[in-house]
Amino acid sequence: MGSRIRNDVVRLFECFCEVAGPSKENTEPWILQKFPEHYRKDELLDTVPNFAYPCEFDRTMIQHYSFVLTNAESKWIFGFCRHDPKSETALVVLSYLPWHESFYKLLNCISNLTNSNNSKDLWSFLESVYNSKLPIKGLDLKINSDSGEELFVCQSPIQFQLPSIPENRNLTEYYSAVDCQNMIIIFASMLFERRIIFTSKKLYRLSACVQSANAVLYPMNWQHIFIPVLPQSLIDYLLAPMPYLIGLPHSLFQNLQRNELGEVVVLDADNNTIETPFDDLENLPTDVVSTLRQQLRKKGTLLGDGVSRAFLRALVKLIGGYRDALKFHQGERITFNKEAFIESRSSNMQPFLKKMLELQIFQQFIEERLEMLNAGLGFSDEFEMEVCNYHEKSSNKLKHQYKDWTFTVKREGTALFKTVKNAVIQKYDFENKHSKIANPTVRNAVKTVKERGKDFRLAYKDIRSKFNVPNKNPRTKIGNQPNSAPNSPSMQKRQSWSHTTASASYRKETANGLQKLTTSQNLKDASISPLPQINLNLMEDLQDVIFRTCDTNDTHHYTSSWDDSVKSNFIINDDINSSFGSMPNECPMETKDLIRLDSTSSIEDFDPLNSPTNSNGLIPGVGLSNPLYQYFVPLNKTQLETKNNNDLLNEYGLNFDLLSCSDQPGPSMSPSQPTVPPLPPKPPNFKSNWTKFE
Amino acid sequence: MAKEYDHLFKLLIIGDSGVGKSSLLVRFADNTFSGSYITTIGVDFKIRTVIVDGEKVKLQIWDTAGQERFRTITSTYYRGTHGVIVVYDVSNGDSFANVKRWLHEIDQNCEVVNRILVGNKNDAPDRKVVLTEDAQRFADQMGIQLYETSAKDNINVEQMFMSITKQVLRNKKETKERQAHQNNDVVTLRKGHSKGAKRKCC
Repeated sequence: MGSRIRNDVVRLFECFCEVAGPSKENTEPWILQKFPEHYRKDELLDTVPNFAYPCEFDRTMIQHYSFVLTNAESKWIFGFCRHDPKSETALVVLSYLPWHESFYKLLNCISNLTNSNNSKDLWSFLESVYNSKLPIKGLDLKINSDSGEELFVCQSPIQFQLPSIPENRNLTEYYSAVDCQNMIIIFASMLFERRIIFTSKKLYRLSACVQSANAVLYPMNWQHIFIPVLPQSLIDYLLAPMPYLIGLPHSLFQNLQRNELGEVVVLDADNNTIETPFDDLENLPTDVVSTLRQQLRKKGTLLGDGVSRAFLRALVKLIGGYRDALKFHQGERITFNKEAFIESRSSNMQPFLKKMLELQIFQQFIEERLEMLNAGLGFSDEFEMEVCNYHEKSSNKLKHQYKDWTFTVKREGTALFKTVKNAVIQKYDFENKHSKIANPTVRNAVKTVKERGKDFRLAYKDIRSKFNVPNKNPRTKIGNQPNSAPNSPSMQKRQSWSHTTASASYRKETANGLQKLTTSQNLKDASISPLPQINLNLMEDLQDVIFRTCDTNDTHHYTSSWDDSVKSNFIINDDINSSFGSMPNECPMETKDLIRLDSTSSIEDFDPLNSPTNSNGLIPGVGLSNPLYQYFVPLNKTQLETKNNNDLLNEYGLNFDLLSCSDQPGPSMSPSQPTVPPLPPKPPNFKSNWTKFE
Repeated sequence: MAKEYDHLFKLLIIGDSGVGKSSLLVRFADNTFSGSYITTIGVDFKIRTVIVDGEKVKLQIWDTAGQERFRTITSTYYRGTHGVIVVYDVSNGDSFANVKRWLHEIDQNCEVVNRILVGNKNDAPDRKVVLTEDAQRFADQMGIQLYETSAKDNINVEQMFMSITKQVLRNKKETKERQAHQNNDVVTLRKGHSKGAKRKCC
């Protein structure tokens, strides 16, 4: 659908090639060797040398860049390249995964091994990486040498994560090469689906800027021609009449017959200049642009996901109203109402919203959301969270209170994470990953970084009390769990459930507002009656927000389905305890058609402060939605199950996320605050999460 | 240097994958231009120069991958083109349903764009599921021409491409005349827009 990233990827990379550059004897670049030998996608392999040596370029330094090929289904395959001035060849790894940082690291490893005396080393290394299962989101893949030495660590990106500076190399490059004003103009040009050319003398800058320009469109994806680095041989493709985003090496740009091109937007990333024949920026709503500009120029935006988030917020203002335009009638498919969408925003924005409806990127975004809703799949991502945060005037008191409340939580969370991040980042590299429990780890960090430490401890206390975590003896509760089927729809249980959760959870300052909203009566009504159209999300958001962070003695789970075949919208699950003490992937799958995929993971309870992790010690999922990898579902079934459980962890892990950036809206229903860690109760690794955070 | 052509037209070919767009292009295009990039960069084009009414018309026909993923193809996609060749497979009902939806959409958003409807793979009567009458009725309703072709047997391919070319050329001339007419009424500050009707789309 909307995403151009394949969601059925089973291995880290598809093929590695060593490409010999053009020489006097051989004017064309060619593939010297490849791994695996049996890789036979000839049409792909035939084009790789051209993309590895797209033109004459400066080869005086080590350079990483990526190119993108597009298959017949319009999905992307990434070619990660490494050029070394000391070498006559380029190293290329082809993968369906957009994990730039990891693959650049991999290329460095490969390069080291290429220079090693024993040529077998490289092939055995490639073989182990090739045959490794994809790491679960947020976890590491580690490859050791025979002697046990760690050769390569690849971290699978956390599911919810916006690209951040400096961790994301592409965005960092884009931000440093192109100033805010020009980034906004490009953003506008992309929102009008123009034909856009980026040019630079440096291939890494070219690919980084093109990739990032697309990344900041999140939750939308560029649907048109996308060629971050265009080789000389394909220069005629600039004549395409359709929208495109193409990176053109500067040496080729110079020789271009501009008059044949027609109307194009050109960004020179080396000189930070833009030429455009259009007034796209002027045609964006002015208040959206001015806020965006303000946020991008704000000091402190540089680090973390501030840049990504600024663009995301602009998009929330523009298209966040799509949720008000979803029409749902019992027994019918959910549809999108264009008029309602336009009316979702103030009159000064409406002309632009009408234009928005004509965009392929927006169409695909809507299609994707509808598809998921109609399939009963819940979703939660940074975009939806920001939509909830976006404060609109509303006569609906409920809505108002709810938003106030999420704001409070968010503010607190942000403050906490700013502190924590700084403290932890500095500590991260030094800490080993096997610390026993979170507290000492965190305290360690606090000790080391004294200044931040004070704030952090306070904040940490605060958050601890907020969660009200009974992690002293969590397992005693297991025995009390009802042991019924995961999906049994039980009305009686619902009542007791809403009671306990509503009363047990929140701290005083938020509880006042909250309790008004969450009397058991309200919740019962919400869950039993057919949901009103407009408030549909809201109600669910509410429950979601409330219960995900609630501490409850009853760990009743509660799932939802939008599947039109399901009459009851909400089904209470008795949590099952069969899974305790077992690894997540041994959990029984719940009935698929009743609940969305990610709720299957709710089988397992999870305590964010005393959590299970696997040996890698990471709790995935604390973090933000990454536009590129969401909804990633591996084909393989065991993987699927693991993944679901992992998603669950993500979801529960979002307890923290919640504090940093709000609720999880949409039809997804999170179980209440878990109280019981699975066996064995391994330590959470706070550092790992938090460093990934912003 | 003499001009290579009198007119350059950029056309789009749309339709589900598997309806034979590439075969139609290969059949029609100059053989001098070989190699296909549709499966490597997701876009491909073919070139051919034809003579229409004594004028040299250079055609670029563009194809992109994975169009079937679009429920609607929005107007920005057609914005820079002179004409659209809409292809379905006469032995595949779904492919016809898709083009119907797309054409309705074009009709709503870009009235002026030149279009032609093509039922390809019209070479195995026993497998034909989209009846000529149905397709014709739909074409009439949309006010466009229908061609049933077979790229495999080279039936009707040439005629179809010539037809859309003539249509685009006629449209261009009409627009020019209209503009010339308008410009005669007012003081001419600049030369008439050479882009013609396509700019009205979107």
